[in-house]
Amino acid sequence: MSDADDSSPIQEPLDLVRLSLAEQVFVKLRGDRELRGRLHAYDSHCNLVLGDVEETIYVVGDDEEDDSIKTIKKQSEMLFVRGDSVVLISPQAQS
Amino acid sequence: MLFFSFFKTLVDHEVTVELKNDLSIRGTLKSVDQFLNIKLDDIMVLEEAKYPHLAAVRNVFIRGSVVRYVHLPSGAVDTALLEDATRREASNAAAAKGR
Amino acid sequence: MEGDPPSLPPQMFTTSAQLLDLTDKKLLVALRDGRKLIGVLRSWDQYANLVLQSTIERLYVGDAYCDIPRGVFIVRGENVLLLGEIDLDREDDIPFRRASVEEVFAAQRATDTEKKRADKVHRKKLRALGFEDEGEVLV
Repeated sequence: MSDADDSSPIQEPLDLVRLSLAEQVFVKLRGDRELRGRLHAYDSHCNLVLGDVEETIYVVGDDEEDDSIKTIKKQSEMLFVRGDSVVLISPQAQS
Repeated sequence: MLFFSFFKTLVDHEVTVELKNDLSIRGTLKSVDQFLNIKLDDIMVLEEAKYPHLAAVRNVFIRGSVVRYVHLPSGAVDTALLEDATRREASNAAAAKGR
Repeated sequence: MEGDPPSLPPQMFTTSAQLLDLTDKKLLVALRDGRKLIGVLRSWDQYANLVLQSTIERLYVGDAYCDIPRGVFIVRGENVLLLGEIDLDREDDIPFRRASVEEVFAAQRATDTEKKRADKVHRKKLRALGFEDEGEVLV
């Protein structure tokens, strides 16, 4: 397979990630975090580079009775994400 | 090797490394290795009060395995080039598997 | 380290080159379990396994700190968070009060118990939401 264009068949999970290159993706991470951004790079460890990223962090209080959840949003223009934190990568339909 | 090469292109740029324990360190990227261990110079710790042990530290070696994110200057990243390199790496990996 | 040339150019992008710069210097070593060690780096390998000499462990709590002499340490690389080169000109003007080991221990026990309880509640709630923690990496 010398030609690395997007029409190559899907044979393994990361081929699906390849189809998301330069597209919007949703990434769920360990440690109560989610990212939305444009995928610019990945490798077999699921290390990623995302552009125009919005990070959502889920925060809960330490009161056992209180089940309220807060979210914190953070923006980053360009972000490298270490693969061992990645739980899943999902292509996002353009809205 | 994709990200190793990528980080080498970012040497001497200002980056912010965020660790899995929420510690964020801003500094000049001085070096990187195959495990993505990172060396930063002239560091500044965000929320310095929480991390007093770093007050007298000017440069650090961060073990790659404890990194969560590296915030990069977008101006230093050629995204088209990076996407091409990623496709190339993906097809090389596929070829190495013998298909 | 044997066999390595005595000085590699600084732009050699290998673990060895990165750690070579720090050899025989007084370093702060932060470990994954939250411990802070201060010692002289005498040896290392590509996994960042380390040998530290004249090591002290420094504990911080509130506005106080204390030092416990520990001696020689061999640290397994996977437990290393970071190594920091201590600026010898700045190391003494930190805004902390040196306290007795007993005082710091007592204060830390109180903080730790509360932190453990809060962490447990956090984890339980977030697991219910389908999140997983990042493994044992403490401050």
